[in-house]
Amino acid sequence: MTVTLLAVAAVMVVTLLIGLHGVAAMRTTSDFLVASRRVSPLLNSAAVSGEYLSAASFLGVAGLVVRDGIGALWYPVGFTAGYIAMLILVAAPMRRSGALTVPDFAEARLASPGLRRLSAAVVLVIGALYLVPQLRTAGLVLSMVSSLPYWVGVVIAGVVVSATLALGGMRAATYVQAFQFLVKLLLFIVPAVWLVAAVTPEERHTAVHPVEFTHFTEDTTVEFRVDVTLETSEAVTAATPDGGEVVIGPGEVTVEAGQTLVFPEGAPVPEVNGGGTPGGEQWHRPLLNLSDYGHPLLATLAMLTATALGTMGLPHVLMRFHTSPDGRSARRTAAFTVALLGVFYLFPGVYGVLGRVLVPGLYLSGVTDTVVVALPSQVSPGWVGALMTTLLVVGAFAAFLATSVGLLLVISGAISHDLLPGGLRRLRITVLAAAGVLVLLALPSAPLAAGMLVTWGFTVAASTFCPLLVLGIWWPRLTRTGAVSGVLVGLAGTLGAIAMALFGPPLEGWQAILVAQPAPWTVPLAFTTMVVVSLRGQAPPWSRTAMLRLHLDEPPRTSPPNR
Amino acid sequence: MPWRTRPRHDPIGVLRCARAVVDDLRDGLSGPGARRAARRLRRLLNAPGLGLADLSGSLVWSGRAADSEAVSALVDQVLRGETAKDRPPLMAAPVYAGDGIAGALVVVGQVRRSAVREAASWVADAVERGRLEASADRAEQAELRALRAEISPHFVYNALTVISSLMRSDPDQASELMLDFADYTRYSLAQRGDYTTLSDEFHAIETYLALQRAVLGDRLRVQVRVAPEVLGVAVPYLVLQPLVENAVRHGIEPRAGTGLIQVTGEAQGNDCVISVEDDGVGMDPEHARDILAGRGGSDSVGLANVDRRLRHVYGPWYGLVVETAVGAGTRVIVRVPRFQPGVMP
Repeated sequence: MTVTLLAVAAVMVVTLLIGLHGVAAMRTTSDFLVASRRVSPLLNSAAVSGEYLSAASFLGVAGLVVRDGIGALWYPVGFTAGYIAMLILVAAPMRRSGALTVPDFAEARLASPGLRRLSAAVVLVIGALYLVPQLRTAGLVLSMVSSLPYWVGVVIAGVVVSATLALGGMRAATYVQAFQFLVKLLLFIVPAVWLVAAVTPEERHTAVHPVEFTHFTEDTTVEFRVDVTLETSEAVTAATPDGGEVVIGPGEVTVEAGQTLVFPEGAPVPEVNGGGTPGGEQWHRPLLNLSDYGHPLLATLAMLTATALGTMGLPHVLMRFHTSPDGRSARRTAAFTVALLGVFYLFPGVYGVLGRVLVPGLYLSGVTDTVVVALPSQVSPGWVGALMTTLLVVGAFAAFLATSVGLLLVISGAISHDLLPGGLRRLRITVLAAAGVLVLLALPSAPLAAGMLVTWGFTVAASTFCPLLVLGIWWPRLTRTGAVSGVLVGLAGTLGAIAMALFGPPLEGWQAILVAQPAPWTVPLAFTTMVVVSLRGQAPPWSRTAMLRLHLDEPPRTSPPNR
Repeated sequence: MPWRTRPRHDPIGVLRCARAVVDDLRDGLSGPGARRAARRLRRLLNAPGLGLADLSGSLVWSGRAADSEAVSALVDQVLRGETAKDRPPLMAAPVYAGDGIAGALVVVGQVRRSAVREAASWVADAVERGRLEASADRAEQAELRALRAEISPHFVYNALTVISSLMRSDPDQASELMLDFADYTRYSLAQRGDYTTLSDEFHAIETYLALQRAVLGDRLRVQVRVAPEVLGVAVPYLVLQPLVENAVRHGIEPRAGTGLIQVTGEAQGNDCVISVEDDGVGMDPEHARDILAGRGGSDSVGLANVDRRLRHVYGPWYGLVVETAVGAGTRVIVRVPRFQPGVMP
């Protein structure tokens, strides 16, 4: 495992070096006439994908497949479909507005400094909901490959991100992110292809014809990284590594974090936190199974609403579209991004179904996000397995770093640029402070699935920025008061639902789904509020001009780019 | 003053109200804030109805409506005769701003004459201030336009000389340079809006440098490195070219041997940072300070000009930063926000 750690260290160093010399990617050595050549939509979409594919995509989706079933594959569908909504509704007008961020857009379209500050606050909320799972997943992977405690992993991850930023990663380098996308794609696809080739034909068969995981088929070691409640109908005797024995059940038993148990072959599999076991009836239903609340169709639609409408409000992604020279190429960038992400998201399913067959014990530990990294050594204990594990850990870390650096920069930018205007040198300090706060938030979040937290980030974006952008771009009668109240209502609704899901009493059935995935009611609520409040007021007189500015094509460039 | 006797108006409240009236009347007596100003004045005077008329006689009214014919006749009289008509319950006082009359204040109800006159002169001061602000703004705009960097005659002369000398020996290069020159002059003399994109700015300095390389030959080496994220950023016209010209004329031309000019542009968070660096003769930092303060003499107006324009457009934080010492070359750093409302190419 030292090799893996060295590889991770190498990734950090390389990222740091690329960050320091990032701008050199576009250079004209002794002559010139390159600067006015614009960046192509394909390259820009690779950069968008590189920024977008986070540790949650790299590891989280496969983990959700193991835990919740193949219905979790709707997550990548939603993550990708968001770019279609963006392509149709937002990409080109947003680029024409010239705005770099949603707060900028709010001020440009409605000339309201108050709305700007409110949007900046929403950026902070989305950024935190998105960054915490990145830190958490990086911490988990680090603790898994190095047997360090979880909190050390999280702190290391936070230090690496803020150091990368503070030491020169402040640039939003397009070429670096495009390169990162290629790295991630290769590091994800190569081990997947190898895994499919290396497993036995029976395992391949079981992977696509799942049977319920009811009894351990071999002695299974489970490391519990979080507190987990197990439920069995008959007593199970598990061994501890030091030779002791633990009897579980019958009934509910809570296993504390940090314990390791070996379940003997043939023992019945306990249920975890009241959920079913992998491979069961619900597991292979092609709809999202949200913590066994039932109503799979509602759950799927709720998640799709959040992700498809939330993508357009993700601050770090939106910023990338500013690189496109005009509205037309911004739209093309979004189209290419759909294709590139589509290629990447073909593979989490492979890891998911193989993971259910090969490492079902992970499901007991309550943290399935490490399944991708755990697979290769199960298939081949030799050096090939170790190599593949290393590739995947490196890829996951690259994904984590690329997204986190971008997000942390956006958060610090929102704080130092929109919320506390005045100074210029404050950005670096803000980066460090924000990273510290986020690490503290990530420490208690180990039991929350990365996919879940990220989807909450999407939900906040869908209930605040989506109405603001869509109505701001397509409806001239939007007023400041309307926009502010819509954003406030959307934010309050989503945050209230999240707080309820985290700290409230346990719910059942469709109420539970609407609390855990509030998008189906918060998005329409925010839209309605914005429309109703706007209709009662008077739209600013310049709104027609502002709309024309957003929707008319740019004048053709007068200076010839190349002769 | 009548409001002093009423306990619910403390002096701070009155001050606040008066300041708000000044704010509301920024755009004159017929501006969008006039109705709010009338409402505030009516409360201040404790009158049942109050109106503000502009020079055309059109009224903005607050409170109880009065007989409209009587009011417009009264306003007409006041505007023509420029005298106060103060016989309660309908009173009107002229509002003077600058050298002439700007409108009238109409008050309905039992209000003391002195109060009406006092209010009218307060309104006059507010209108006057709004006018001064607007004219200061216009003056600044005009100055900004005048400051728009001009093409240097020195450079035009050199470029044309070099092109004509190449005409025989290397007609291809001469025609190439002629096109560059045409391109450059079109860009510098263009009468478009006040802003352009950084990409066009870079294109302009590239043509400029191509011409300078023809003039200086091998003595000038150039490196341009631009990150694609900043190419679409909107900036005022010709902010970079004077900096590059400065580097060539005061950095490279006076020194012996070859010199290198590096131009880089990159994004740093929400800002875009451009630096123009030469390894030429440099200067005394005190001298650089004088130049930025506008005390550098006619030869170096370029830097001070760019500095002033940047500060005017983006605010006091966004001036030029000059790093230099004698013999150590010069680096000029421009920092602009990647998006600023109102700054559009």
